[in-house]
Amino acid sequence: MERAWQELIDAVSGGERRALGRLITRVENREPGWQDAMKALYPRTGTARIVGITGPPGAGKSSLTNRIAAILLERGRRVGIIAVDPTSPFSGGALLGDRLRMRDVATASGIFIRSMATRGTLGGLCQGARDVARILDAAGHELVLIETVGVGQDEIEVVKAADLVVVVCVPGQGDGIQTLKAGIMEIADLFVVNKADREGADELVADIRSMLALSGDRDGEAPPVLETCALSGEGVDALVAALVERADRASSSRERTGARVREEILTLIERQLARLVRLRFGSDGRLDEAVRSVQGGEIDPYSAAEAILESLALVE
Amino acid sequence: MSETHDDLERIAEAEEQWRRDVLEPRVKRFQLEQSPTRFYTPTANRDFDFLEKVGFPGQYPFTAGNNPFDFWRAHAEAGAKLGIRPDAPGGGGGAGRYSGYGTPEDYRDYQLRMQSLGSRGGPNVAFDLVTQCGYDSDSPNALGEVGRVGVALDSFRDFQVIYEAFTGERDIDKVASNFTINAPAAVIIAMYAALAEKRGIPLEKLRGTPQNDILKEFIARGTYIYPPGPSMRLFRDTLVFCRAQLPKLNVTSIGGYHIREAGATRIQDLAFSFAIGCAYLQAGVDAGLEIDDFAPMFTFNAFGGSMELYQEVAFQRAARRMWARLVKERFGARNPRGMMIRQPIAAHIGCTSTTLQRPLNNLARAMVGGVAGGMCGALPAAYPPFDEPLGLGHSLEAIQLQVDATRILIYEAGVADVNDPWAGSYFMESLTDETEAAAQAELDKIDGMGGAVAAIERGYMQRAIAKSAYERQKRIESQEELMVGVNCFTGEKELEVSVERAVEELYDPGQMATAEERQCAKLAELRRERDGKEVSRTLGALEASAKDEGANLMPDLIECVKSESTIQEICDVLRGVFGEAEPVKL
Amino acid sequence: MSSDRKIRVLVAKPGLDGHDRGARVVAYGLRDAGFEVIYTGLRQSPEQIAAAAVQEDVDVIGLSILSGAHLALTRKVFEKLEAEGAEDIPILVGGLIPEDDKSALQEMGVAEVFTAGTPISSIASFIESRIADA
Repeated sequence: MERAWQELIDAVSGGERRALGRLITRVENREPGWQDAMKALYPRTGTARIVGITGPPGAGKSSLTNRIAAILLERGRRVGIIAVDPTSPFSGGALLGDRLRMRDVATASGIFIRSMATRGTLGGLCQGARDVARILDAAGHELVLIETVGVGQDEIEVVKAADLVVVVCVPGQGDGIQTLKAGIMEIADLFVVNKADREGADELVADIRSMLALSGDRDGEAPPVLETCALSGEGVDALVAALVERADRASSSRERTGARVREEILTLIERQLARLVRLRFGSDGRLDEAVRSVQGGEIDPYSAAEAILESLALVE
Repeated sequence: MSETHDDLERIAEAEEQWRRDVLEPRVKRFQLEQSPTRFYTPTANRDFDFLEKVGFPGQYPFTAGNNPFDFWRAHAEAGAKLGIRPDAPGGGGGAGRYSGYGTPEDYRDYQLRMQSLGSRGGPNVAFDLVTQCGYDSDSPNALGEVGRVGVALDSFRDFQVIYEAFTGERDIDKVASNFTINAPAAVIIAMYAALAEKRGIPLEKLRGTPQNDILKEFIARGTYIYPPGPSMRLFRDTLVFCRAQLPKLNVTSIGGYHIREAGATRIQDLAFSFAIGCAYLQAGVDAGLEIDDFAPMFTFNAFGGSMELYQEVAFQRAARRMWARLVKERFGARNPRGMMIRQPIAAHIGCTSTTLQRPLNNLARAMVGGVAGGMCGALPAAYPPFDEPLGLGHSLEAIQLQVDATRILIYEAGVADVNDPWAGSYFMESLTDETEAAAQAELDKIDGMGGAVAAIERGYMQRAIAKSAYERQKRIESQEELMVGVNCFTGEKELEVSVERAVEELYDPGQMATAEERQCAKLAELRRERDGKEVSRTLGALEASAKDEGANLMPDLIECVKSESTIQEICDVLRGVFGEAEPVKL
Repeated sequence: MSSDRKIRVLVAKPGLDGHDRGARVVAYGLRDAGFEVIYTGLRQSPEQIAAAAVQEDVDVIGLSILSGAHLALTRKVFEKLEAEGAEDIPILVGGLIPEDDKSALQEMGVAEVFTAGTPISSIASFIESRIADA
């Protein structure tokens, strides 16, 4: 592995925060050598519990994350936060504004907050977030909170990176739990009704509980539904206790972690294959040739793809 | 506009013919898609009812103005011959020119200097950001900010120092004070009351205007402390207290101006200002006050402005009519004084219309604002002075030009000689109607959310303004909106006309440089000298009252300021009870 | 520059100045120019700005100040960055900066001062060329 990477990893192990920021960037950008770096880092991981925090916009996820982190810091734990916001499909840029809500904790020495953009690719976020969580783990952060935006598919993706998924919703959002995306009921390990001082909180809790009763359980136990008020801090202590306890349990379940490892390996393979396909067939002219054939009416796109795949001996 | 139905039909037909025979051929001749100009005929407002839509100056619905002539207009010609500045602030014991810098001693001495140069009014106080945000001058948050955008004020002791310049003929029962203070307005009002008490002056004699418009801070100006809910509680307390004890004090100065400067559109300015105004009025009603008693004590700082002359005139007409209607119909008011928009100026161009490039052009721009203002029955203030965007304060030259421009409009152009000159114009009446309708629709939307406080809590206004600001920037960068010397006519052949500026000898840069140090030293001295037990006692009492939603905090605040608690000590107690406002994500 | 690389910019308002129109407009504009903008909003202490710059590993820091406190605040931001070993991150200052103070800021080490009326595209190109040179 390149010396620059090694030096960076050593600096991170030595507690240098600038180095940690740089390492995250280089891995996120997939700079050459990043995989070797991740391999070198991997043995140092395994202590952190990774918690995904998701839910519709306006639920107060950032404020809640801020509160959770503050409590953990008070207890002497080191916390990493990954705050995810969507990349603009038009410009490729992103407005990452979650730090705004985390001012209280931002300068504490035991915390590291990193904002990430989804950068547009489905499944891409998941791997990126997983890598960054791993880096924060290796740097000694015992709890890593991944906060995602709550629109689009990305909040479902985050589940693959987390030991535990917390879904935050808020009363008064019109349709109650209909606003929660399909699939979220299945992935949540814990529900939080935030801004619980508002009207409709009790109804929302009841709605969630009845939906859970209908949709079947994970690990044979219904996810708890907690109430919090991120602004005043009410209920957050109980949330942190539940969170820590469940995260510990989830990370020691071989079945759960096994499923995630399987999924990660598959994703890594798929991503790498997709990259290779575009690179190889894009550059050796076969793709251009296939395009010409399809446009010339000689062959249909399905057969064109099959022909290329045949060369990889990957057709079923 | 008393055309009959038949008349209108004939006009409509004639208009059709004109389009075919005159307009379209011309448009075609110049190879345009449409005409760059418009023409309005009686068909633009078929249902125009003069008495309903306009009425008379000084009568509901006040479209044509609050009165047939303003106080400055009354003796304007006589004043001109005597060289008196009838337009100058501070006349008649009002508050003087907006100012503030350095330590309270620096500001007191500045006021004394101005008095020796002929200034007559009371203090119109700008406070520094440290004070406005409820911090002390030695707080880590105060770095670089002490005494900068206004005077530093940490305690009642400081307040009294400032007022050493206002005694005798200029004592506080004879001159009015304005305070540009919002989040800790209650504390400053408490100091004002405590000062009167100390000087043996009855509270009923106190006049002036605290800005006390916290809701706009969340969306435009940023000097908020507590969340909207508790902020409204403080507003209620100041309103109730003032009505009962300081009946001559204006309660608030509602600032659409800041909202527009923050990037809001004209319609948002109007709708958001009124939503906020309604929230304040409602607070009074909810507290059991009589609308006819307290509505007249509400003022408006000014709305925003722009270079679009016609639209700004329409805006003012629509605003006056709309506010009158809201206060009358929504709140059941009967006192006409409560239905008027009391503001020091009407239409103007707004500071964001001025440019850093070729700054002398800003004088031409300000003139447009003055004309618009004059046509709204207000002082034709050619504001701001041309060097506004330079960020160095207004020079003597710029102020002279501004004042003379205003005088030229009054005395030479006679712009203020006719009330509502546009009344009855097909164009202007239709534009006024459109403006009012659009603003009403936006106001309805906010009402649907639960009112201004709800709209602010959910970030609606903030995001709307940020979006409008960005859209305007894009329009400017794409030349869809043209600004002379900025995004057009910027070639080499253009002259950069410059002029010498002598910055007004007001704010001694030497004093500014040492203000933070000196103020912190005085603060340390204060903490040593005062009775710490009394401070704790009064702060404790404040905390207890703050926890009781129904308690009025003003008496406790007065006790706190008298015990020489600092602004931050007081505001921190309230932070402990109310929490701090959270920023809104974009 | 690999295709995955995005330019990351921190946009912050130090001190107590609450006029964030300019900062927001620049944040939106740079996002639309393809940058990842970490927008931290109002009332950022120099510590918070330095911490954010380091944790987010930004390519550029943008400070917006309209209260006149730009010299004191920028100086403090530099101090805090140095303490974190991040003094190499270029700083851009915008807002209400009188002509005479521009040189003072540049002497401090500020990469550029952008005054009112600067098109966002100029800011974006400046950042891009600065990064390309780095």
